[in-house]
Amino acid sequence: MDAFLGEKLFSKRSKNGLMTYVLPKKNFNKVFAMYSTHYGSIDSEFIVPGTGERLKVPEGIAHFLEHKMFEMEYGNVFDKFAELGASSNAFTNYTNTTYLFSATSSFEQNLDLLLEFVETPYFTKESVEKEKGIITQELRMYEDEPEWQVLLNLLRCLYHNHPVRIDIGGTVESIQKIDVDTLYKCYNTFYHPSNMILFVTGCIEPNEVFELVERHENRKNIGVQPPIERIYPEEPGSIHNPTSTVKLDVAEPMFLMGFKDNDVGYEGFELLKKEICIGILLEVLFGKSSVLYERLYEEGLIDDRFSFSYEGQKDYGFCTIGGETRTPERLHKEILESISQNQARGVMEEDFARVKKKFLGDFIQGFNSVEFIATSFVSYYHKKIDIFDYMKALNEVTFEDVNWRLKTFLDFSRHATSTVMPK
Amino acid sequence: MKDIFTHRTLKNGINLFIHSTDKFKTNTFCIFIHQNLRKETATMTALLPFVLKRGTRSFPTSRHLSLYLENLYGADMGGDILKRGESQILQFFMETVNQKYVTGDDIIDSSLKAFKELVLNPVEEDGSFKQAYVEQEKDVLRRNIESLYNDKFNYAIERCFQEMCKDEAFSIYKYGNIEDLKTIDKNNLYEYYLDCLQHCPMDFFVLGDVNEDEMSEKIEKLFDFARKEEKLVKTSFVRKEIKEEKIVEEKQDVNQGKLSMGFRTNTRYGDDDYYALMVYNGILGGGPHSKLFQNVREKASLAYYAFSKLEKNKGLMLIGCGIEFANFDRTVKIIKEQLEDIKAGKISDYEFDSTVKSLVNSFKESSDSPSMIISLYLDGIINGVRESTDDMIKKIQDVTKEDVKKVAQKINLDTIFFLNKK
Repeated sequence: MDAFLGEKLFSKRSKNGLMTYVLPKKNFNKVFAMYSTHYGSIDSEFIVPGTGERLKVPEGIAHFLEHKMFEMEYGNVFDKFAELGASSNAFTNYTNTTYLFSATSSFEQNLDLLLEFVETPYFTKESVEKEKGIITQELRMYEDEPEWQVLLNLLRCLYHNHPVRIDIGGTVESIQKIDVDTLYKCYNTFYHPSNMILFVTGCIEPNEVFELVERHENRKNIGVQPPIERIYPEEPGSIHNPTSTVKLDVAEPMFLMGFKDNDVGYEGFELLKKEICIGILLEVLFGKSSVLYERLYEEGLIDDRFSFSYEGQKDYGFCTIGGETRTPERLHKEILESISQNQARGVMEEDFARVKKKFLGDFIQGFNSVEFIATSFVSYYHKKIDIFDYMKALNEVTFEDVNWRLKTFLDFSRHATSTVMPK
Repeated sequence: MKDIFTHRTLKNGINLFIHSTDKFKTNTFCIFIHQNLRKETATMTALLPFVLKRGTRSFPTSRHLSLYLENLYGADMGGDILKRGESQILQFFMETVNQKYVTGDDIIDSSLKAFKELVLNPVEEDGSFKQAYVEQEKDVLRRNIESLYNDKFNYAIERCFQEMCKDEAFSIYKYGNIEDLKTIDKNNLYEYYLDCLQHCPMDFFVLGDVNEDEMSEKIEKLFDFARKEEKLVKTSFVRKEIKEEKIVEEKQDVNQGKLSMGFRTNTRYGDDDYYALMVYNGILGGGPHSKLFQNVREKASLAYYAFSKLEKNKGLMLIGCGIEFANFDRTVKIIKEQLEDIKAGKISDYEFDSTVKSLVNSFKESSDSPSMIISLYLDGIINGVRESTDDMIKKIQDVTKEDVKKVAQKINLDTIFFLNKK
C-alpha cells in the first residue's frame, strides 16, 4: 500500500478469517483499537448458521448484547481496562457493533483483553435482568432528546418495513423479551471472526499486533463459518408517511426533512462515490456558502444549528436537512422551492469545484485524529469500502454525476418531514 | 519544567504562544480574549463572536467568508464563548490544512488574512456595526439561550450551578441572558467591542508545522493595532462552609428525572492539594471504575450514567445522573454513602490505582489533540499556574490515599437540583 498523507497501512488475515489492520502513528502517545462486528440494529431477522432456523429477534438486541459483552465470569471487563489504565467503550449503530479502548501504556495487555472479552460471551439470567434497568434509563434519556426523536420519526415516515425505522436501542417493552438463549444465538451468528475486523492505530508496531493476534486466535479452535443470511423485509419504493409531528417539552420547534434513496444495492467503491456525490450536492445546495443558506439565515428561518447529512448503506440510503426554526412549514416550503429552482438550472461548475476542495481539506483534517481514522476505516470496511480510496473517489466524481443526483435523488414524491413542536 | 510553547509578547501586549510540530495534518490558530464574567457585560461579550462572524471589510457577508475559506480547502474558522470559573472568554479559532498535502496559494497567509479581518475589521456602517447584523444576531443568541431548555442533561447541570451560586458571578450563563439583550444596540456593542480589543488580556496560540520566527513576525505585522493598559481579569474563588444543603425541584414534561448535586470543594487549581482533589473526583465518579458508576449503575441498576466532574477554576464539583422519578431518595442516599466512604478513607486499592492510571492516561492522551493541548495550557494561564503535562503526571502519581481522605473533608454538598415530571 502506498503512503497516504504520509500514513502507511498494514494488514493480515488470520486463519479463522479475522482481518487485522494497523496504521502506526509513531509520534502519538496513545494506541487506539477497535474490534468491530458487522452486526447492527437492522439485523433483526436471520438464519441461524448450521441449524437453518429462521429467527426474528426482539428490537434492540444488538445493543443489549453490546452491554452484556462487558460482563465476564470474573466480573466486569471495564474494571480490567481501568486497572491497566486504559479507557474502554462500545457503541451500536444500524449496521455494526464496535468495542474499543484507548491507552498510553500496557498495549499488549489491553489488546489481549479487547480480543478476549469480545470473544467470550458470558450471560446469566440475573445479569440480563439487571441490565434491563440500566438500558431502560438509557432509552428514557433518548425520549427526552428532541434531536433523536425528530430523526426517529423521520425514518418512520420514510420507511414502511425496513428495520432502520426502529430505534437502535429498541423500546422499554421490546427489551423485556430479551433472554439468555437469544443473546447466545445472536452472538454465535454475528461474532464469528470472519464477520469482524480489528483496527489498531497509534504508537505501535504492526508486527507486534499481528503476532499477538496470531497467538490469540490460534489458541481458539474456531472453524470457518459460511456467509450469514440476513433477512430484510420487502421495502416499497414509496415513503410510508409524508409527515410526522409530535409535541415535546422544548423551547422552539425542531424540523427535519429527508429524501429516501431508492438507487441502492451498491457496495465498495461505487457506494463511496455515491456517498461523496450526494454529499457534494447537499453542500452546494444547503451549505454555508449557498445562496439559500444566506437568505434563510437573514430571514431568521434558520440559525447556525441548521445541518444536513447523507447516510448510505448497501440496502438503504437517506438524507436529512433541518434544524431549529420558528416556522417549520415555511422552512419546508423554502427548501423545496430552492431544490426546484436548482433542478431547473442545474448546479454551477464553480460551486462543484470549490466544494470538492473543501471535502478534500476536511478529509485531510480528519487524519489528525486516531479516533476519526479508526471509526471511518471500520464503518467503511463494513460497506466493503477502503477509506484509502477516498481521494480517488473524490477525483472521479464528476459535475455531471452531481447534476444527475440532483434530478434523481431529490425526488419530491420520496420525501417526508418530521417536526417536534413545543408543548 | 519543559514548556512546549514559545512565549513572546507583541508590541501591543498580546501574548503569542507558538508550538512548532509536524505531528498534525493541520495548523491551528486560536485567539482568546479574557473578560471578567459580570452581568453588565456577559451578554454583550457573548454577542460579539456572533456579530463578527457575519462579515468583514473585505468579506462583507458570511457567505463571502465561506466561499473564500472553502477555496482554501475548507479552512475552519469561527468564534465562540468559553466560561472558565468567573472569566468569560471570547474565542476565535482557525484550522487550515498543511500546505504540503495540497496545491495552490499559500494557505496560511491567505487564511490569516481572513482571520485577522474576522477579529479586527468587522463590516462597518456609519462608524459602527451593521444594524441588520446586530439585530439578527440578537435574535439568534436569544434562541441559543432558550434552547438550553431542550438539552435536559446540560440544563440540569446549569440550573444546579445557578441555584448554588445565586449571589456569585458564576451563576451567569456563558451566553448571557435574554433581558440584557434588549438593552444592546449596534452602538453600545461597538463601543464595548473596541474596549475589549484595547483593554482585555489577549492570548494568541499557534500550533503546527510552522517556523516560529517567521510566524511570529507575520502575526506581529498583522495584529499590530494600538492597545491601552490591560485590565485585570480574575476568577473569584469563594471558600464556603455549608450549614444546610439546599434542595431545588423543577417540573417539566419529561420522561426521565435528572439529578444534579453541586458541591464546594474549597480547593482550586494551583493549591497544593488540587491533584488530591482530582484523584478524589476520579474515585467518586470519573469513569467505569468509580464508586458512582459501580454503585448507582452496576449494583443498583438505577441509572445509565452517573458521573462527577470538577469546575477547577471555581472550586466546584458536580454529580449528575438520569433516573426514574420515584428513585430520587434512594439514589441520593446511595450517592451520599459513597461520599461518606471516601471521607472515612474507605478506598480500595483498585479504585485508587485505576483512578491514578486513568488520569495519567488522559493527560498523556491530551498531547495527541491540538485543541486539548491548547485548552490545558489556557487553564494554566487563567489560574496563573505554569506546568507541563509531565509535571501534572508527576503530581498525580505523588498523591496518596491519605491525601484524598484529607481533601475529602473539605468537600461540602451545597445544592441538590432535581428535574422532576409534571
